[in-house]
Amino acid sequence: MKRYISLMSGVALVALAGAVQAEIKNPDTLVYLRTSNITSLDPAYIGDTSSTYSSLNVYSRLLDNAGSNISEFVPSLSTAVPSLANGLIEELDGGAIRYTYPMRDGVFAHRVGIKGADSSITWHLYDDLSEADRAKIEPGYGQITAEDARYSLMRAILQGESWMANAVTEMITSGEYTNIEKWAAGLAGVEKFEDVDAAGLAAVHAALAEKIRVEGDNLIVTLDKSFPATLGIMALPFATSIIDMEWAIDQGSWPDTAATWVEHHKPKLEDNPLFEMENGSGPFLVENWNQAEEQIVLKRFEGYFRDNAPLERIVIRAVPEWTNRRLQLLAGDADVATTPPEFIEEMRTTDGIKVEDLEQVYGRSLFFGWPVVAEDNPAIGSGKLDGAGVPPDFFADIDVRKGFNNAQNYDVLMEQVQLGRTVQLRGPTVQGLMGYRPDSSIYSYDPAKAEEHFRAAFDGKLWDVGFEMTAYYSEGTTEAASALAVLQQSLARINPKFRMRIQALTRSSFREKSYGTSNPESPLSYMGWGPDYSDPGGPLGAASYYLASTGLVAGFSGDGYRKLMREEFDPLLAEAWALNDPALREPIYARLQEMSHEYATTQFMWEAVTANVTRDWVHGYVHNKVLYGAWNFYNISKHE
Amino acid sequence: MLNYMLRRLAFLPVVFAGLSLMIFSLQMTLTPLQRISAYVSNFSELKGGREQIDSLIKKYGLDDPFLTQYWNWVKGVFSGNLGWSETARGPVSEILLSLFPATAELVVLAFIPSFVLAVWLGTRSGANHNKIVDHIIRFFTILGWSFPTFVFGLIMLLIFYGFLDWLPPGRLSQWASTEVSSPDFVRYTGSNLIDAAMNWRWPIFFDSLRHLIAPVITLTYVNLANMTRVMRTSMLETLRQDYIRTARAKGLERRVIENKHARRNALLPVVTMAGMELAYMMGGVVITETIFDYHGLGQFAATAAANLDFPAVLGFALYFAVVLVVINLVVDLLYPLIDPRVILK
Repeated sequence: MKRYISLMSGVALVALAGAVQAEIKNPDTLVYLRTSNITSLDPAYIGDTSSTYSSLNVYSRLLDNAGSNISEFVPSLSTAVPSLANGLIEELDGGAIRYTYPMRDGVFAHRVGIKGADSSITWHLYDDLSEADRAKIEPGYGQITAEDARYSLMRAILQGESWMANAVTEMITSGEYTNIEKWAAGLAGVEKFEDVDAAGLAAVHAALAEKIRVEGDNLIVTLDKSFPATLGIMALPFATSIIDMEWAIDQGSWPDTAATWVEHHKPKLEDNPLFEMENGSGPFLVENWNQAEEQIVLKRFEGYFRDNAPLERIVIRAVPEWTNRRLQLLAGDADVATTPPEFIEEMRTTDGIKVEDLEQVYGRSLFFGWPVVAEDNPAIGSGKLDGAGVPPDFFADIDVRKGFNNAQNYDVLMEQVQLGRTVQLRGPTVQGLMGYRPDSSIYSYDPAKAEEHFRAAFDGKLWDVGFEMTAYYSEGTTEAASALAVLQQSLARINPKFRMRIQALTRSSFREKSYGTSNPESPLSYMGWGPDYSDPGGPLGAASYYLASTGLVAGFSGDGYRKLMREEFDPLLAEAWALNDPALREPIYARLQEMSHEYATTQFMWEAVTANVTRDWVHGYVHNKVLYGAWNFYNISKHE
Repeated sequence: MLNYMLRRLAFLPVVFAGLSLMIFSLQMTLTPLQRISAYVSNFSELKGGREQIDSLIKKYGLDDPFLTQYWNWVKGVFSGNLGWSETARGPVSEILLSLFPATAELVVLAFIPSFVLAVWLGTRSGANHNKIVDHIIRFFTILGWSFPTFVFGLIMLLIFYGFLDWLPPGRLSQWASTEVSSPDFVRYTGSNLIDAAMNWRWPIFFDSLRHLIAPVITLTYVNLANMTRVMRTSMLETLRQDYIRTARAKGLERRVIENKHARRNALLPVVTMAGMELAYMMGGVVITETIFDYHGLGQFAATAAANLDFPAVLGFALYFAVVLVVINLVVDLLYPLIDPRVILK
């Protein structure tokens, strides 16, 4: 009987534990379930959106984006946003530009150094210190100053690891060099970085130090010429995040000397001392990062230089299985869950769940490549225009590209694939970017026009013999499969001899055949590439990415594509980039957008849209397109 | 017996060498461009195009000759370094060590009841051949055997978490997770149950137990079904032996014959199978761990393999080889205890 009672009590307790469910579970903690983990805590290392969930909240930058505005900025560690009007941007003789960032006083990092009796520094959490202990903080040790900002920028550039750190190099060299290795080789007058001697390494360090200097409490950045995306780069949550110099050096990071920078250049993840440590001054500090369990816990920093964040903790956990994420969200154990696109509509109609569509700064497109690899390339079949294949330079013929663009049924894509959540992509720049005009030319589904172009292509031979080729996409992308299937059917309807096969490839194989090479195998690939800052110009801007001969898309689209860009687009891009006045630049980017239509450079399909799926008690998310949906948790709160 | 054990353990390095060579050879069939997948998590990290990709290939030595790459790895293993897992963002050995207690906790809790129940149910089923008890047990085991783990696991999750909110997924509730991560909580073993008990933190202990119930039931049922069927068959065979007939003729009680004479002799094949099941489970129960958001070795190994994270795959293969050899050894050592006629040579 005793055993029976004890068993029943146990069962009742367990049942009660489940039944007693608070309206809001974990009221001071936000639990965010994602599918991927962060890469590193070192802001100079990261280049992916997942990792910005920590860097954006743990570190501060000189500037922040102004809410959801992608081209306006607000002060952060800098007390003012440099502008010509406030005199913090100065045009110097010879076209050089000088930016002054006045540093905020009294900002402390999460960990601060206190000197002991033996003069050694010990690091303590700022929040754990009493007022008396805080008075003992060694000046500079955890106190964020202009020196820290200088060190952080130089360290990121010299480390040269991530694509986003190299964006800062491009900014500092006004677009002349894309990374520190090229800069060093360029200054030394040698071909390869490996051939740069010690003097050359010191020279590039000196050149960098000349461009990033400290004057009193100000950080001074001097560029040889205009680089309009400068402020945008400074606000990105990557390599421009400010770390405490003294702490970083104490952990074994670059010791701020010219002779040692190359030893800290491109470290492997495991050799980077700041890989799993942070000492930022952001509103949250990393309480715990369990790589094996793919969970990071951020704790509110009580010593933040602004008002404290409403939430005490943020838990970001990778849960690969959707059903599990869904159930945890519905049960209230999770507050936000990454949701596969095909389940967004279901979640929208679920009680207690809030779905917010998020416009993105990029679109989804089908990329033409020409010429593609001619030998042993199954994507082009026979490799000839004989009905059983296509020639390697199939898409060099503008009528083929226009025919393909008129054969796509964009209405079906918008209504049935995208379920009316987004709009047709008009070119490289999306809504909100400079050069976007809502009335610019776009392709529409027009079988008659497509036929007209196909009949004109290859002097009519294409129409007579037909073609057979393969379009590739990366596996798991259902939208890609749908978009390609719509095009495939349209082509077959226009001419039954037009046979386009669709093949999903593993991520690695897809890369090998498409964007991983300058000489692609894939004649037609589904992808979406977004710019790294809001300005459409500059090496990482939307227009340059797609339309410059040295741009990202040209890099993998073949010599033919590059030649077209070089001849038709490069001059206009250079003209726009040389101008400082947005009013003068805007019409040029609008023209470039129009030209991308005239030359049918790419099949631009739709502006990407993602969604936040949260419990309805989560408030305060501000979407900024340029952050690719990364969450700034500072303003987030939980209440009914 | 000691000689036997030493000989079996001495076999381990040969297994390691064979396994690692095989996996290395397999990985070399992929191009460096494909293998670079392990070092980048998504497209956006490769905006530097071919130049950036080449730089990564060079940095990680992916285009070095086969023997150079293999030798570098072997050198690392001898110095206790199994390499770096880009999937888990940590040294492979540390990741394996940190995930092992989680998987072990789950497996041990599932294995013990499934073995005990399988022996009991198999005995009852065999002893009541073609009677109602046998039919019920057979139905129960066939159902469990034919149930894919992910279906059974999802049903468990939907009913006991989605509907009743009794048995949540994961290893701990948020409050418990925060406490376990705090400096006040001493980590002795990595097992939440044991550590919570050793820290005298019973709410955490019961919370951990609550999170274990659903995955343990799932694993128990799926494994139980298989072992019960083997036990039943073995029992049926044993019950037809002459010495059982003799025992019955001598008038021994049925219970004594079944439980003492027949069951012990019927155990050998079940023990062999149980060893294999245990080894398989220790290798990670991928589906169960994935469904219940239980970060363990199985989930780690599956993710590593999908991401072509070869250091992790190799490290895991070595771990699994050790598990297989050790468990097989234990099973071999158990044989003479169950059946004294068995002599290890």
